[in-house]
Amino acid sequence: MNPLPSVVVALVAIAALLFAPGVLEGQETTAPRQMRHFWHVFAAYAIAWVLLFGWAVSIARRIGRLERRVGGGEGT
Amino acid sequence: MSLATVRWGALVLGVAGVALTLLFHWQVFFWVPTEASMGIVQRIFYIHLPAAWVGFLAFGIVAICSAVYLWLGEEKLDQAAVAAAEGGMIFTTIVLTSGPLWARLAWGTWWTWDPRLTLTLLLWFIYLGYFLVRSSTENPERGRRFAAVVGIVGALNIPLIHMSVVWFRSLHPPPIVARQDGPQLHPDMLTTVFTALGAWTLIFFSLFLLRYGVGRLEARIEQGVIPS
Repeated sequence: MNPLPSVVVALVAIAALLFAPGVLEGQETTAPRQMRHFWHVFAAYAIAWVLLFGWAVSIARRIGRLERRVGGGEGT
Repeated sequence: MSLATVRWGALVLGVAGVALTLLFHWQVFFWVPTEASMGIVQRIFYIHLPAAWVGFLAFGIVAICSAVYLWLGEEKLDQAAVAAAEGGMIFTTIVLTSGPLWARLAWGTWWTWDPRLTLTLLLWFIYLGYFLVRSSTENPERGRRFAAVVGIVGALNIPLIHMSVVWFRSLHPPPIVARQDGPQLHPDMLTTVFTALGAWTLIFFSLFLLRYGVGRLEARIEQGVIPS
């Protein structure tokens, strides 16, 4: 199974949340600008780690599936 | 090369990568000075730039493996190219998401059709096409060859992305690390960037190795070399 479609779907979902009209504009009036900086830094790092972790998990799942197929992991 | 060997290699690289990652997160959040004009949000730089470099490295590997695959026809080179292309997509996606989060506060907009941003988005779409082309033909061998051509053509975009801020009027700042006259960055910031670059390069090669091992094993099962 190609893991990219699931990554793309996850990305589109994150982008939809991030770019939803009014969400961030609303924060701008209520929260101090400094908090908004923190929020952006947190979001950038979180997205990066979700993507990397997602890639690692997709590879691990493929390895597990292959090992079950070959009955315990023979040589490649 | 056995899957066990691949796993050990990936584990060693992965552990080293995670250790460097912990170090660079400590540097980013507790050690490096805050940039005077942009403030806290500039700390996105420490993932944005290394992700771009690792993405370019990955697509460079795709191009080299694809070119040699077209020449020699060795299937394992195609499998290495696919593994690198997946990593390149992940790291370029990090660039394309961290950039707008930074730009919204630094430039006042999420996105602008600036040459560097546009070319980076084009790079992402070219390698998305790389995967689509592979599965678009009934003959897998033909799909692999088409994809190899896309993989080579896509990498030609990388020097354009690097030089776009020099050649064209751009909102994106010019290179501050990879410059002919040397990096123009506070030494602590430079150290943090290189730690992050080292961490993500190690993590990339760790996952690349695992993904390549999976590809090899899948191919050998399909060819009947290993009975399923």
